[in-house]
Amino acid sequence: MTGSSYLARRTLLAAPALLALPAVARAAGGGTGPIAIVLNSGGATISIIDMTTRKVLREEPTYREPSHWALTPDRKKLLIADASGNAIFFLDPATGAELGHKLIPDPYQLWFSPDGRYLTVTCLRLNRVDVYHAASLTLAHRFKVGEMPSHLTYTPDSKTVFASMQQSGTVVAIDLASMTPRWTAPVGKTPAGVMWHDEMVLTAIMGSDHVAVLDPANGRITRTILTDKGAHNIFLTPDRAKIYVTNRVAGSLTVLDAKTLGFIKRIPMPGGPDDLCFAPDGRLWIALRFSSRVGVYDPVTDKTDHIPVGRSPHGIFISTLLTDHPALAAMKLA
Amino acid sequence: MGGAASSLLAAIPAHPFNDLAGWIEQVAVLPVLYRAGLMQWSELSFGWTLVAVYGVTQMILAYAVCVPLERRFPIERWENAKPVFVDVFYTFLARVGILPVMTFVIFYAAQVQLDGFLADRGYVPPMLETMIPALFGHPVVTFILYALILDFTDYWRHRLSHRFSIWYALHAVHHAQRQMTFWSDDRNHFMDEILSFLWFMVVGLMIGIPPLQFPLLILMLRFVESFSHANIRLSFGWLGERLLVSPKFHRAHHALLGAGQDSCNYGAVFPFWDMMFRTADFTRDFGPTGDHTAPEAMASGSYVAQQWSGLTQVARTLRG
Repeated sequence: MTGSSYLARRTLLAAPALLALPAVARAAGGGTGPIAIVLNSGGATISIIDMTTRKVLREEPTYREPSHWALTPDRKKLLIADASGNAIFFLDPATGAELGHKLIPDPYQLWFSPDGRYLTVTCLRLNRVDVYHAASLTLAHRFKVGEMPSHLTYTPDSKTVFASMQQSGTVVAIDLASMTPRWTAPVGKTPAGVMWHDEMVLTAIMGSDHVAVLDPANGRITRTILTDKGAHNIFLTPDRAKIYVTNRVAGSLTVLDAKTLGFIKRIPMPGGPDDLCFAPDGRLWIALRFSSRVGVYDPVTDKTDHIPVGRSPHGIFISTLLTDHPALAAMKLA
Repeated sequence: MGGAASSLLAAIPAHPFNDLAGWIEQVAVLPVLYRAGLMQWSELSFGWTLVAVYGVTQMILAYAVCVPLERRFPIERWENAKPVFVDVFYTFLARVGILPVMTFVIFYAAQVQLDGFLADRGYVPPMLETMIPALFGHPVVTFILYALILDFTDYWRHRLSHRFSIWYALHAVHHAQRQMTFWSDDRNHFMDEILSFLWFMVVGLMIGIPPLQFPLLILMLRFVESFSHANIRLSFGWLGERLLVSPKFHRAHHALLGAGQDSCNYGAVFPFWDMMFRTADFTRDFGPTGDHTAPEAMASGSYVAQQWSGLTQVARTLRG
């Protein structure tokens, strides 16, 4: 095997497209209006989109594989997890300007605790859940509680963080006061997204076609909600009336009633829907992993417009979240 | 620009390889993973699919360029080209078959162990871009640096595979081919592949995972390697021969005199390393290829016969 065949055989991962020419793009400058920040896992770039014109303003580089984001409690910095790049990048959430980066091992998904004290990071590749002191980003505790830690959510009182383990098929509850695991519960094949909702923990079962509802006290499954094949992630609308579930294998969104968890609607969304954000105009901005595009879905017209971005768009943040308090609250950011 | 031209440009995907891989992922790979209960690999399977798409594209490119040239300017013509078909099988196996997935899985497991070990001791695994911070934001330069380093280390791997007789007993499978064509690049004993893989794994763990974001560059490098094996009477000229490995340069390595422990022109993509370490030979003409010392089964046998022959050669070498 030769050097370049080694390159070709090493999947992996990530980074900027050859033709992206970030320096040229930067020279084009950014607008002053709201922006969408799209994390292109396969291209190792961050696309900055003007939400008004829907044009890509520029692309910023990362090391390898930007996946998910977290907004600091003061909303002044957006943290971008670059998993195989072993780094967190800091961006100005209003402009997308890069503010530096810090090396930490394998940050895949990350979220600040509601009280702003901790930043929990799931290390999907390295099978660790790392809890950092939010103020200093120093490691508070490292947990080895399952294989392929994926998504996470907190209780509103910040006492417990729940993380899904894709390989183990479990959800783990970690007590942040004592820094000890409280319980580990089998929930089904390949759990991914987790969301605290109405005193329940919801987790999307990607190896199946449903959302499992867990009792936060012990992880027992109290109910399953049929969605579609490859249920991946879960989002509460800003008006708190509906829940959207992205289904990766089916290529669809499932809309659930947030109160009853009853089925409302299935929306075809080919392209591998992953992360999404709700804009103030009611549209959904959706990262489509397999089509190098962001979908902008209008629930009123049921139409989706597409914006070409970098390779394998994964996480998406929209700057309207900085002032949209209902949306912030729905995402447990306010 | 006219409206029609604009529409045409808009219709061209910005990331054609990625979009094709994404389509395959959605219609074929994910449904299989889903049914098999392996959705935990869905994050990584997209990368595997992408590598397979690159591999097929590279094969098509090599075929489209090399076949007409091999027919128009052949070094040799053969009555019976049956041994070439085995090389075609090797190529499929290496580029789109099970080998890329196997090597990836092994590398992934090793990297998880090592990176986890380092992380638990407060270290972040090294990468070229963190060792040389000025590289950040210059991905093309970074990629070229990775390519140079990997090609340099490959030069030494290749040279050592000739130097040690037990290693050469395996590598002889690559050299035994008397009908060398662009398909011969991937004609390797599986244990030789494993040794190569381990070699590059160590390098990869020392300098980080090379970024795979440059499909065009990767395709070009792979093309150079296939092209250098082609049965084409072609030299790149005095300067070109010293910048990129050509069919003439690499054929000298595969010539009967180049087989065995005392060879020349070990470089895969760049001839610099041979020039630097005095193993370059630009004087040899287009001689016949093969290895007189290799068993006939290794030269003209089936895939299984060649692999078995490699193992028996190793056993013979061990016995002295």
